[in-house]
Amino acid sequence: MSFIEDSQNSAPDSVQANKLGGARKGAEPGQNAAKRLQTELMQLMTSPAPGVSAFPSADGNLLSWRATIEGPEDTPYSGLTFKLSFDFPSNYPYAPPTVLFRTPIYHPNVDFSGRICLDILKDKWTAAYNTQTVLLSLQSLLGEPNNASPLNGEAAELWVKDPALFKTKVMDRHKDIEDD
Amino acid sequence: MPAAVASQWRDRQRRVFQSVFQTDVARSAPQTTQASRFTDPGQTFSTPAASLPGHSLHPQQPYQTHYGRGRTLPRSGQHSSSRRTTPEPSFEATAPPLSTTAANDQATYDRAWHVVTAHIALPSSATADDSFGTLAAESQQQSSRRRGDADASEFHDAFALLINASTLLPRATHTDDILAWHVRQVRAHFAQHVIPLLAGCVHDGDGDDDEAGDPGDDGSGDGRWRVVRKGNHYERHMVTVMSSIRTLEAALRLYFYGLNQLLSGFNRLADSSPELAKDAELLNTRFRRDAHALVSNSASEGLMKSIRAVLIRLAGTILGIPSQDEHRVGGGQAPRPAPPGPDDLRVQAARERLLELVQQLHNVGLAGERFQVLFAEVMDSMMSAFVTGAYGGVWSAPEPGSSATMDTVSRSGSLSATSPCIMSLSDWVENHFARLSFEALACISSDPQRPLPVSLADVKTYQSLALGRLAALRIHELFDIVLAWPASRQALDDLRATITTAARRKQLTDSFSRTLQIRLLHPGRSTLEILQTYISIIRTLHALDPSKVLLSHVEPSLQLYLCHREDAVRVVVSGLLASPEEIRAARKTKEAMKRQREKPLRDGPFATPTMPAASSSTPRDRPRRDSSLEEDENIVPLNDNHSRQSTKLVELALLLNDPSQNRRMAADLDEDLDWNDMNWVPDPVDAGANYKRPKSEDVVGTLISGLGSEEVFIKEFSAVVAERLLSEPSRFDQELRVLDLLKRRFGEAALQNCDVMIKDVQDSRRVDSAIHRARGGQKRRALATPDKTASNQGSEEMEYHARILSRLFWPNLDREHFILPQPVLDQQKRYEQGYQSLKSRRKLTWLNQLGQARVELDLRDRTVTVDCNPVEATVIYAFQGAEDDGDGHAPPAQKSVDELYEQLQMDEDLIAGALRFWVGKGVLRRAAGSKSSYMVAETLHDPAAATTTSLPTASTQEEEEQQQATTETEAPEASAATGAKPAVSAKERERREIYWRYIQGMLTNVSATMPLGQMAMMMKISIADGFPWSNEELQDFLAEKVASGEMEIVGGKYRLVKR
Repeated sequence: MSFIEDSQNSAPDSVQANKLGGARKGAEPGQNAAKRLQTELMQLMTSPAPGVSAFPSADGNLLSWRATIEGPEDTPYSGLTFKLSFDFPSNYPYAPPTVLFRTPIYHPNVDFSGRICLDILKDKWTAAYNTQTVLLSLQSLLGEPNNASPLNGEAAELWVKDPALFKTKVMDRHKDIEDD
Repeated sequence: MPAAVASQWRDRQRRVFQSVFQTDVARSAPQTTQASRFTDPGQTFSTPAASLPGHSLHPQQPYQTHYGRGRTLPRSGQHSSSRRTTPEPSFEATAPPLSTTAANDQATYDRAWHVVTAHIALPSSATADDSFGTLAAESQQQSSRRRGDADASEFHDAFALLINASTLLPRATHTDDILAWHVRQVRAHFAQHVIPLLAGCVHDGDGDDDEAGDPGDDGSGDGRWRVVRKGNHYERHMVTVMSSIRTLEAALRLYFYGLNQLLSGFNRLADSSPELAKDAELLNTRFRRDAHALVSNSASEGLMKSIRAVLIRLAGTILGIPSQDEHRVGGGQAPRPAPPGPDDLRVQAARERLLELVQQLHNVGLAGERFQVLFAEVMDSMMSAFVTGAYGGVWSAPEPGSSATMDTVSRSGSLSATSPCIMSLSDWVENHFARLSFEALACISSDPQRPLPVSLADVKTYQSLALGRLAALRIHELFDIVLAWPASRQALDDLRATITTAARRKQLTDSFSRTLQIRLLHPGRSTLEILQTYISIIRTLHALDPSKVLLSHVEPSLQLYLCHREDAVRVVVSGLLASPEEIRAARKTKEAMKRQREKPLRDGPFATPTMPAASSSTPRDRPRRDSSLEEDENIVPLNDNHSRQSTKLVELALLLNDPSQNRRMAADLDEDLDWNDMNWVPDPVDAGANYKRPKSEDVVGTLISGLGSEEVFIKEFSAVVAERLLSEPSRFDQELRVLDLLKRRFGEAALQNCDVMIKDVQDSRRVDSAIHRARGGQKRRALATPDKTASNQGSEEMEYHARILSRLFWPNLDREHFILPQPVLDQQKRYEQGYQSLKSRRKLTWLNQLGQARVELDLRDRTVTVDCNPVEATVIYAFQGAEDDGDGHAPPAQKSVDELYEQLQMDEDLIAGALRFWVGKGVLRRAAGSKSSYMVAETLHDPAAATTTSLPTASTQEEEEQQQATTETEAPEASAATGAKPAVSAKERERREIYWRYIQGMLTNVSATMPLGQMAMMMKISIADGFPWSNEELQDFLAEKVASGEMEIVGGKYRLVKR
């Protein structure tokens, strides 16, 4: 029984409450990162968000995930698919996951090795976020880059000045990676 | 003739030696006498004429006998110098130079030798049983007497000469021991004549007995089968044995005649030298022993087999073990072995016969070591046969009146603590088994100085051996004992008294676990059966071993198997919640059972498992629901059990109410402090490290812990309780009671959910009545406006009650969407309003599929009132809707599944189920010519109604009372839980949908193509509740997806079809 540490939930049947609570908010602090990730995965599967998906990687390690984002319509990334990797720390969700674009992407806030500049993955992270919210944030980042703090200065510049060239650069840079 | 060849060969040898050493011709007289008639003396007894060539390799000592090598005949020097006549037929230089006196002495000696040997020579030819034997021997004796004293005195003179050759004829260099010669002649005679005769006897007896040649039946363990197979040929075997004995007797008489002649010679000489008399005595016994060794060593396998058969038959009769052919003649059931009474004439006759036979065997020398081993084997198999025969399947003492042979002493003993089986077995061992052993062995042991052949300590050993057999039998039967519990209580007493060592306990658990695997833990057994057996196992093994260590050794396999049975927990829970009616019924059958059990106690047959009335009335008896046929059967077959029993584990409900089961709590508390427990015993040696002694049977606790964690059990329990709370109309005393009992076991906190559920239902009853009161006021006001009532007509009469559930505490509440009939929807709306006026800021979410409805159907020729669930009510209401407009001449309403689907927006499976329900009730029937259309069966006995229009009568249906479960929710979008219990198919479908999403997610993100095994592995690690499918199930699922075009297989790996 685990309801002793489950102090915020007054429901006596901790299993039931855990499940429902986790499914509803997805932000309940659990001491076990793997458990939490399983819950998040279940949530992703039961109520999937359009255009994003994620799954633990093939080696059976729950702390390492692969994710997919489809480029939003009406953006230069429309019709493209981007693969990402999530590496969760063992104290997740109290620390953010390390997220990288594995698909090469031309984007003001992503450098050429796939690192992402996104505040919620750094100092703004809270345990209330989860994989799905991160994915959705990244998806919206594709359409609305934060040009104030670019990792790719050229891209930030082109985004404003020459959307057509930007689009070409995006298409040039993008290539579907092989599965590992 | 091998002997002739041998003698020729030896002659030639001798010639060679003579040519080398130039020995005297005359000295060979004794040897020629011997060599011409007998085989080589150096051979062993049993294999005459087999080792001749080997012998010829040692020509230096061709006549050194087998005896001479130190076994039997003394070397002469040990006793008397006068008998230093042992032939030293060495041809080496030790021979002194020959002289004339030497030649004379030698001649005299040879003559004397000839006289003596001729006198005691055995008849040279004996072809048939009758040709030698008593008559031959006696006639020889007679004739010798008739020949008068002349012969005798000549013999004695010659004999004296031979014996004292060293003094009387000092120069005779080649002398021989006349006694050794006789022994050799006897041996040769035996090999040449007696053994063939014996073989003839055996062959006659054995000829038709096919099985006697079976090489595999030499083991001693299958004594019972020996009885079966040999019994048939008992007479023939008896003939074999008797004729063999007669032959041997005759031969021995012949041999002893010769010996006696020699001995009488000794006796004459004894006057002069008293040492010789002593020697004669010694020689006599030695010869006797040699002769017996000769006989027993040469007894053939066939003869031993015959003796065995005869022994088995006779000992079987004496010990009360019926042989198989007796009952084969009589037909019917094989009689069980029972200790014979003291006055049984057959037994007495058999005993005399057996003892006489043993005596005879002893006399002819057949009662040697081999016979004793044989006898031991026979007795051993007798013991096994008796134990298995008399006690196999019999779990209590024989009835006093049944066989009339039970000793009264042992009967009175059965009332004591020891089990009656053990008492009677000990009695049998002491009074029959040991007695027979004693008598038979007394015949054999000729030595009166030796202690008794069977001592009291031996009897004790026999008894413990017999108890060991009994233990093995009971261990073997343990599963049947478990099934027959509690009628088999006596058998447990047997076991408890015999299972005393750790090895036996281990044997018991091992054997029982094996039996479990074979007989119980396989797909052919329903979970209910397994659980019932489990309960019996718990009770039986607890009775056997209150420390429960045995149980803990047996349990793991059972528990492991039960984990695979998904319905196990449910069966247990529903058993616990058995209604009082079911319990009463179970009690009643139990009473009936008890009565029927007492009946055979009075007049039952010997084989019936019965128990003393004292123990049958103990309160812990398990209820027996299958009472009808059982008293005729030794072992209750599980199948019969199954066919006649209810589908619930009612035992559990009974046990839960049994106060003796609930002692655990109190006992556990002061376990270490209970210094006054006079029944304390140390923990068993095979107890585990963390062993904790339980105080009571605690079947329920053991069972629940056997099903996995308490958590699982409580989860299932709340699910079942939830179902029952929603379905049962009003009362749930039983649930409350069980809940209270379970709380004592698991603690309050664990079962709080159930508390909340029950409270919900009670609360909602109050709320319900409050809402109805409030609405009643409105209704009365509404009644004031007549037009409104008129417009609403029947639907306004409908009663509507709701139960308001706290969503968090109820397991598996899921919304099933469908459109309720309009009147019900109206009611719902009004109810909702009433509720919100009662409790503001709360919102009701209706769970339409839960609840109950009473439907009254006015059909053309009948009125049907049915209690059903809302889904079914909704479906049948749809048929009414169709008919509303066709009030005049419409045919009976007809709807297809598709139409219903559109109209009700209900899941097709639910529709199909509801349609089946109504077809089963005879309200709907399939429309002719259409597969998926159904129509109302307006008339009951008119199958043509489907096609012909009959008199138009409006059918009206009204729903009188509907209860609907609702959830009280803070958030309206609350149905994320997985699947509802009542609709298993819906839950399963949802689960498959989720799994499908997992698979999609996997193939999208991780790798575009994956093999089956990896997918299964990923599913297992990534799903929190576990992934219950096997690889095969997953494969089937994926195959469906492949078939529907959503997936494809490329190179043995699955991948999504790109759109």
